[in-house]
Amino acid sequence: MKGEKLRNLSFFLSPMVIMVGLFYLIPLVFTIYISFTKMRNWNIERYLTEVVGLYNYQRLFHMFQHDPLMRTVLLTTVVFVGITLIINVFGGLLLALGTFFINESSASAIRLLWLLPRMSPIAVYSLVWYYFFHGSEIGTLNSILMKLGVISQPIPWGQIVPWGAWSIIIFVNGLVGVSFGMIVFTSALNQIPKELIIAARVDGASAWQISKRILVPMMKWHFLYVLTWQFLSLLTTYPHLFLLVQWDLISRDYGTTLALYVYNTAFGRGEQDQGLAAAAAVLLSILGIIGGFVTLKVLQFEKMIHEPRGDIE
Amino acid sequence: MKGKMGVLLVAVVFFGVIASGCIGSQETSETKTTSVELTGDFVKDVVAIGKALESNGINEVKFSAWGSGDPNSVMRVYGIVEAARRINKIWEENGVNVKITITDTHYVASFQDAYQEYLSKQPLGQAGDFFANSYAFLSTLANEGYILDITEYANAYGSVINDFYPSLIEASKFNGKLYGLPQDTEARPLYIRKDVAAKIGFNLEGIEEKVKDGEFTWSDVYYWAKKAKESGVVEWGLIHRKGSAHPDLIQFIFAFGGKLYNEDSGKLVVDVPAIYKWLYVEWKFAQDGLLPKDIMSWDWAKQIHPTIVEGRTLFDIGGTWYWTEWQTKEYYGKEGTPRPLKPEEVQAWFAYTLFPAGEKGLKPVTLSQPFVWMINSKAGQQNPKYEELKDLYHKLAFLMVIKASDPDINAIHSVISAHLPVRKEAAKLISDEKWLNDLKNLNLKLDPKVKENIKDIVATTVHPINAKFLADVSYMLEYTKLAPAHPKYPALADIFKEAVDKVLRGEMTPEEGVNYIIQKVNADPELAQNVEIVGEIPKDWKFP
Repeated sequence: MKGEKLRNLSFFLSPMVIMVGLFYLIPLVFTIYISFTKMRNWNIERYLTEVVGLYNYQRLFHMFQHDPLMRTVLLTTVVFVGITLIINVFGGLLLALGTFFINESSASAIRLLWLLPRMSPIAVYSLVWYYFFHGSEIGTLNSILMKLGVISQPIPWGQIVPWGAWSIIIFVNGLVGVSFGMIVFTSALNQIPKELIIAARVDGASAWQISKRILVPMMKWHFLYVLTWQFLSLLTTYPHLFLLVQWDLISRDYGTTLALYVYNTAFGRGEQDQGLAAAAAVLLSILGIIGGFVTLKVLQFEKMIHEPRGDIE
Repeated sequence: MKGKMGVLLVAVVFFGVIASGCIGSQETSETKTTSVELTGDFVKDVVAIGKALESNGINEVKFSAWGSGDPNSVMRVYGIVEAARRINKIWEENGVNVKITITDTHYVASFQDAYQEYLSKQPLGQAGDFFANSYAFLSTLANEGYILDITEYANAYGSVINDFYPSLIEASKFNGKLYGLPQDTEARPLYIRKDVAAKIGFNLEGIEEKVKDGEFTWSDVYYWAKKAKESGVVEWGLIHRKGSAHPDLIQFIFAFGGKLYNEDSGKLVVDVPAIYKWLYVEWKFAQDGLLPKDIMSWDWAKQIHPTIVEGRTLFDIGGTWYWTEWQTKEYYGKEGTPRPLKPEEVQAWFAYTLFPAGEKGLKPVTLSQPFVWMINSKAGQQNPKYEELKDLYHKLAFLMVIKASDPDINAIHSVISAHLPVRKEAAKLISDEKWLNDLKNLNLKLDPKVKENIKDIVATTVHPINAKFLADVSYMLEYTKLAPAHPKYPALADIFKEAVDKVLRGEMTPEEGVNYIIQKVNADPELAQNVEIVGEIPKDWKFP
C-alpha cells in the first residue's frame, strides 16, 4: 500500500520535480560552484576547474567595505524593492477593485491601457521614458514645464541624487509591475460569487464597505502570492535599470541595484568577472530566500493551509 | 604462343601493379597534404592552399566576418568579402576548384556591444571567423586564447607587414606576439569654429604650428572659450565627448605630461598630478559655464553634434571621423529641417589642430584607437574535416586578412569613413586624384555586393575636400598616444569617467575627484594589484 502511494506521488509530482530541478536547482548549484572559481570572460574551458575557495567572497566583502558604490547599491536595492513592491501590490489591488465596480467595456479598456507597458519591448518602453525624463530641454517633461513657465532651466531629474534617480526607477518599474497584480486580483474578484455583492448592495453597503468587508478578505491567498512573487521579481529585475543607467539618464550610483550589479559584473563592458558576479548572485539569492520566508511568516502562510476535510484514501 | 601470352599477362599484371602503386601513392600524397608552408608569394601560397583543400575534397570554404563601428565604416566587414572575391579569382585563374563563401557579415554600431557578443559566442564556436574591433580588446582576447597568434605567418609576409606604420603593428601585439593586422586608425583633433573665432578676433593663422610648438596651451583654450561665451556669440566655449571607458578625455593626462602605463612593471598608472590637472581643467570650464556640467549625459544625435555643427560652441574635442559623419548624418537643424553638412561647409567652418599641451613647456598630443582585424582561434571550424585541415583553414584566414589589407581596400575605407590609412601605400592612393575619381564613380574592381553596400556612403563622402582633410591630419600620428592594452584598463577608465562626471557636475572638487579615483582603485583588490598610484596633488598649481 505504501509502495503504491509512493508510486502515485512520484507520478504526479515528477513533472514539477524535474522542472524545479532543471530550471532552479541546477542553475543555483552551478552559480554557487562558479562563485568558488575564477571564471571570467566566458572561458569555461580554462577557469571552470580553477577553484579558488572563498576568494570571490573575500573580494566582494572588501569592496562592500571600501567602495562607496557598493553601499549605495545595497541602499538602492532596499529602497527600490520596498517602494516599488508597495506600488505594484496596492496599485494592482486598487486597479482591480476600481475596474470591478464599473461597466465591463470601460474596465477592459483601462486594464488594456495598464498592460501596455508590459507588452512593449523593453528597449522601446525605456526609450520613451529616457526622452520623457531627459535632463535637458530635449526632455519632454522639462519641455512642458518650461513652456508652462513652471521652470526656467531644465532639471536633470535622474541626476538629482538620491531621490531623483530613485523616483525614476521606481516609477518606470512600478508602471510595468502594477499590471501583474491587477490581473491576478481581477481574476480573483471574478471568482467571488456575485450573490454576495448583490446581497451587500441590497443591504446598502457602499463600494468601499464591500471591498473592505468582503472582497479583500477573500483575496488573502492572491495577495500573498502577488506580494511574494513581486518581491522576488523586483529583487532580481534589471533590464529597464540597465538601459536607463547605460544611457546616462540616471545616476549610476543610485540607479544600480544588486541585480544590475551582478549583471554588469558578469557581462559588462570591461572584464567580465563571472566568478565575482556569481558570489554576488549567491548573496542576492540568500536575500531573496530570507525575504520570501519573512513575507510568508508575516502573512501567516501556515494558517491559510488546512488539512483537506474529505478522506482521499 | 602460350608462353608469349603468359609473359604478356605477367607484364600486364606487373604494369598494373606498378601503375596502381603510382596512382595510389599519388592519391596518398595528395590526401595527406594538410599543411602548406607560407612563402610570402601571395599567389603561390593561395594556390598551394587551394590545391591542398581540393585534394582533400573541399570545394567550398565558409567564413564569417564580424565588424563594428560608425555607419561609414562598413568596409570592416566588406573588406573581407572583397578579399574572398580576389582569392576566388586567383583560384579560378589557376584552375583550382575551390571557392570561399562569406556566410555572414555581422556589423554592429557599438564596438563594445560587438566585443561582448564575441566574448559570449566564441566559446560556443558561434563567433565570427574575422573580427574587426578596437586593439584595446586584443590583450584580453589573446590572453583567453580566443584569437589566433599570427606571428609565424606574418614572418613570411615581411614586405606587407613593413608597409604598415610600425606603431600600429606594435598595437596589434600582446606579450610580443602578433595577434592581428591593423585595419584603421584615427586622430582626435581639437576642432575650432572659424566663424566664431573671426567674430571674437581669434586669429587662427598658424594655429597648428603654435599648438605643435606648445605655445598655445589649454590656458589659451580657456581664454578664448571664455571670450567667445562672454561676447554672446556662442552658448558654450567647449564641447567634448562622453561615455564610459572612452579614450578621448585621457588625452589630458598625456597633455599634462602624465602616463597611464608603466612598461617596466606592466602595471597601469594613476598619475596623480596629471589627473588632478585634468580634473581641474574640466571643473574650471564647467564652473565658469564654458562646458555643460551634464555633458557626460548629453544625447549624441540631439545635443552634442547639433551644438557643434550649428556653431554653438567655439571648441570641440572630437575625432577625425566626425568630418564625414557630419556630412552623412542630419545634425544641422538651423534652417528648420535637419540636414547633413556639405563638404564645403565643413571645410569653411572648421579648423583643426592637435590636442594642445596642458601648460607651457609640454607637448601637444592626440590619441588613436586602432581597429585591428583579428582571426578567431577556431577560424574555419564550420567547414568539413576541420581538425584534420585546421592548419590550412588558419593560413587561408591569414591570407584573407592580408588581402583585405590591400592598399585600395584600406584607402576606400579611409576616405569614406575619415579614418587614417594604416599602410603607406594606402596613404599614397588617397592623394591620387585619378583614383579618387574612380572611387567616386565606383569604377573599381569590387565585389558587386560591396559596391551595392557602399554606394550611398561613397556618393556623400568621396570628395577632394575630405581627401585633403585626411592628408592634413596625417601628421598627427607622429604625436599619437595609445590607451594601454591592459585587461584591467576598461575598469580604470570607467572610474575616470565617473570622477569626471562628478567633478563636472560640481559634486566633487578636483582634489576630491582624485581621492575618489584612488579610493575606487583600492576598493577592488584585483584592480589595486594591477595599478600603481604615483605622485601627489600639486600644491601651488594655477589654471589658467
